[in-house]
Amino acid sequence: MDLRAGDSWGMLACLCTVLWHLPAVPALNRTGDPGPGPSIQKTYDLTRYLEHQLRSLAGTYLNYLGPPFNEPDFNPPRLGAETLPRATVNLEVWRSLNDKLRLTQNYEAYSHLLCYLRGLNRQAATAELRRSLAHFCTSLQGLLGSIAGVMAALGYPLPQPLPGTEPAWAPGPAHSDFLQKMDDFWLLKELQTWLWRSAKDFNRLKKKMQPPAASVTLHLEAHGF
Amino acid sequence: MSTLRIWLTQALFIFLITESIGQLVEPCGYIYPEFPVVQRGSNFTAICVLKEKCLQQYYVNASYIVWKTNHVAVPKEQVTVINRTTSSVTFTDMVLQTVQLTCNVLSFGQIEQNVYGTTVLSGFPPDIPTNLSCIVNEGKNMLCHWDPGRETYLETNYTLKSEWPTEKFADCHSKHGTSCMVSFSPIYFVNIEVWVEAENALGKVSSEAINFDPVDKVKHIPPYNLSVSNSEELSSILKLTWNNSGTLRLKSDIQYRTKDASTWIQVPLEDTESPRTSFTVQDLKPFTEYVFRIRTIKEDGKGYWSDWSEEASGITYEDRPSKPPSFWYKINPSHTQESRSARLIWKELPLSEANGKILDYEVILTQWKSFSQNYTVNGTELIVNLTNNHYIASLAARNVVGKSDTAVLTIPSSHFKASHPVVDLKAFPKDNKLRVEWTAPHKPVKKYIIEWCVLSDNSPCVPDWQQEGGSVTQTYLRGSLLESKCYLITVTPVFTSGPGSSESVKAYLKQAAPSRGPTVRTKKVGKNEAVLEWDQLPVDDQNGFIRNYSISYRTSIGNEIVVNVDSSHTEYTLSPLSSDTLYMVRMAAYTDEGGKDGPEFTFTTPKFAQGEIEAIVVPVCLAFLLTTLLGVLFCFNKRDLIKKHIWPNVPDPSKSHIAQWSPHTPPRHNFNSKDQMYSDGNFTDVSVVEIEANNKKPCPDDLKSLDLFKKEKISTEGHSSGIGGSSCMSSSRPSISSNEENESAQNTASTVQYSTVVHSGYRHQVPSVQVFSRSESTQPLLDSEERPEDLQLADNVDSSDEILPRQQYFKQNCSQPEANPDISHFERSNQVSSGSEEDFVRLKQQQVSDHISQPCGSEQQRLFEEGPATGALGAGTDGQVEQFESVGMETAMDEEIPKSYLPQTVRQGGYMPQ
Repeated sequence: MDLRAGDSWGMLACLCTVLWHLPAVPALNRTGDPGPGPSIQKTYDLTRYLEHQLRSLAGTYLNYLGPPFNEPDFNPPRLGAETLPRATVNLEVWRSLNDKLRLTQNYEAYSHLLCYLRGLNRQAATAELRRSLAHFCTSLQGLLGSIAGVMAALGYPLPQPLPGTEPAWAPGPAHSDFLQKMDDFWLLKELQTWLWRSAKDFNRLKKKMQPPAASVTLHLEAHGF
Repeated sequence: MSTLRIWLTQALFIFLITESIGQLVEPCGYIYPEFPVVQRGSNFTAICVLKEKCLQQYYVNASYIVWKTNHVAVPKEQVTVINRTTSSVTFTDMVLQTVQLTCNVLSFGQIEQNVYGTTVLSGFPPDIPTNLSCIVNEGKNMLCHWDPGRETYLETNYTLKSEWPTEKFADCHSKHGTSCMVSFSPIYFVNIEVWVEAENALGKVSSEAINFDPVDKVKHIPPYNLSVSNSEELSSILKLTWNNSGTLRLKSDIQYRTKDASTWIQVPLEDTESPRTSFTVQDLKPFTEYVFRIRTIKEDGKGYWSDWSEEASGITYEDRPSKPPSFWYKINPSHTQESRSARLIWKELPLSEANGKILDYEVILTQWKSFSQNYTVNGTELIVNLTNNHYIASLAARNVVGKSDTAVLTIPSSHFKASHPVVDLKAFPKDNKLRVEWTAPHKPVKKYIIEWCVLSDNSPCVPDWQQEGGSVTQTYLRGSLLESKCYLITVTPVFTSGPGSSESVKAYLKQAAPSRGPTVRTKKVGKNEAVLEWDQLPVDDQNGFIRNYSISYRTSIGNEIVVNVDSSHTEYTLSPLSSDTLYMVRMAAYTDEGGKDGPEFTFTTPKFAQGEIEAIVVPVCLAFLLTTLLGVLFCFNKRDLIKKHIWPNVPDPSKSHIAQWSPHTPPRHNFNSKDQMYSDGNFTDVSVVEIEANNKKPCPDDLKSLDLFKKEKISTEGHSSGIGGSSCMSSSRPSISSNEENESAQNTASTVQYSTVVHSGYRHQVPSVQVFSRSESTQPLLDSEERPEDLQLADNVDSSDEILPRQQYFKQNCSQPEANPDISHFERSNQVSSGSEEDFVRLKQQQVSDHISQPCGSEQQRLFEEGPATGALGAGTDGQVEQFESVGMETAMDEEIPKSYLPQTVRQGGYMPQ
């Protein structure tokens, strides 16, 4: 590309215009409301962090449950965990979800999972495990709060808790010990899947909410060179 | 049963007592407020309300109330009676922290009775806590700090509160009011709001809330399992690996240092920004041990740096030596005509250049245009025998990786003349090192060799050396140098053709005062000056360059005088000095750093200069000698006159003419030697008589002859000569002396007459007809008395005719000295062997014949000398023999005199008159 004097002047004018408008770019104007961006990022980080945390917690808990639950290739049928919110969803469906729905599903899922997890906490035998579960519960509660915060920031209303879905995980005598453990196994598995999905959700949301400033700069660079 | 009854009684009693006390201790009134807490500096009012019952019981009302603080009555001005039962007290500006306030009442108007008391506390409401900050130590709960502000002086509760928008966490109650650790694990990535509430009796405040994500306040556990590994391919790198805790993304901070260094080198933080658990550090030195440490922080830099990890060390791999060793040679001075011995020396490479463990050195020695020899040496020297030719030596160090470059040294032929020395060579201490500077010669220098050694009288100069590049003109001496030691530093330029001339300089790393001062002594001491000399201090004692000497000298009473002398001198003349004075001299040697006194030396200046005494004495002696000589000459010239005055001529009675005039005087019947001598001069007869006299009756015979004299002279005066006879056996001399003494008066008495006679007779040779017989008898006695020894010596020189009577007299005198001490022996011998006189006579004669040839004088002298000794021998027969000898001698002498000595006496007739 050969640059002529006229092009140079035009480029300079363009640069001046961009510089003039720079303070108006929201991402660079740090004095105002930061928007939902940081909290989405934080929520994303939290989901990743909880994924890590759950991995070690699940390992400990499955060991506590004993074989065959702690075997790596143990994949039992989903029997008694029908009430658990399913994280798995068709990819196309997932892609077609809007932000509000996506956040609402997350919020509802974790609300339920948290209730179930609290039940799990009560059953745990060792103090160390109980402490870990309690901490994870608190963390999950923090995640719930974060999602609520993001929703609030985006102007979405919080979903009302559905009657009947509340403490549905009451340890009943109907369950045998093995089935109980099976439920625990599926709870942890579902939780893991949800955290994985949430990470994806928030990553997508994060990218969507990316401040446009970076793109301006990129455009400028592309134009200049 | 009875036990139960006792127990019940006791219980009842206790119950009753308690009940009654409860009634008794019920107070008469109360103070309000009951537990007052007052802000410091503010006003405070308390009221005391009395009970109606007490008013009547004690006949009091509120005006009888007395307030006290800490047992001191409160002034009336502060007290107000509100009504009949109530009194109030007001305090302004409460400053005390606690005040005991009591309400008392004067019962019956005078008895003070305590009604109620309380404690008033004062303090401040809590300040708003500031600077709230929290830290999350990984693996522990969150800890928050704040600044509580002003001291409240009251019990203040600080509560750390934390909450999410959706949930509150448990409060954290602080014990000491500045920090608190929450009881729950922090939840990362969820913002939490934290604030502090402070509350006491005077108020309750809250700090500003802080909202943060706990993950941004984390201080991580330091990285662990840090390990270091090297690479054989690259000697300049070390690879670090470590483990990080947790799941967060962390960036690292790596520092390293060499093992001996103290300062850390920072790996640029940009290089370790991305989360990692390994890192390769580059640009390291080969074969060097490095120590590493690492710390981490959250990737975005929020939070706190972790503590440093444990240190780990690793050694980089070896590389080939980066430089050849310093290379030099020494030729053994005692080389022969054909060959010479050279010691090739080199320095071990410093670790930074060796780049590994040096396995050996390779030396290649090439003779000019000839084959080369290879040597592999483990040490740092090689001794080779060289011819006188030109050689080239090359040296390379080798380690496990490879060989260094070679250092080439030209060893010129033995006829080579070195030249081109460095100029302006200087050495001086700087920065506690010895710095050497020089100016390069006008010829391209390949390198310089600097050698140095300690100069000492006690140890030889063992040089150390170092090599410098050809462009260097100043350097520091590497090596451990000692202070106060004289270093001889030699710089040799090395050219391509061989070494140049060396230049040397002396230097001290640090001078000090000399160890001892010079010992001064006098070389010459004069009356007014003294030449001092001293030896130069040995180099071991100098401790520096001797700049000057100071000589201080003083007398015992005088002031000290100090003279400074240049260090090049070794003697100095002190002047002017006082004569005959003791001087104390002390000498000090000075370096740049101070001086040291030597031992004190004392000397005394003489009273006179050299030759002064001689100059006085010699003239005086000469003058004395001259005077004496003149006196003698004068006396000689005037001898007649003197003689006349001092020695008036005494007429010789023997020459008196009266004897000639009366030749026909009938001879004495008694034995008269004089008459006989005069008559015919024959002594033999006399000798016979003498031997007979010795024959056990010497004294009586001798004395008899004397007596005859005496009798002749004394008979006229009627004196008795019995002394001689009576004392014969004891002593002949005393008897003679006594005779003489006795006769002295008579002699003096008869002097007038005597003189007159002699004088007239002698002068005019006119025989005096008067009183001649008297003079004849007295003369020998007088003579012998005056000069007993002279006579003995002079007896041989008397004239023949005039000496005869003298000789005879001398004969007696001759025996006199021996008779004097020996008479006693005689007596003893007489006593011992009186019965064998004939034997003795025979013995005597025998001995006489033995000694007959000996002159009398010498024999007499010998006897004289031996006299006392023989006397001491006492009864020994030898002594007796000696004495007999002497006696026999006389006979021999008497016999010989006329034969041998007579002519002499005739010749010396000039002395005859005496």
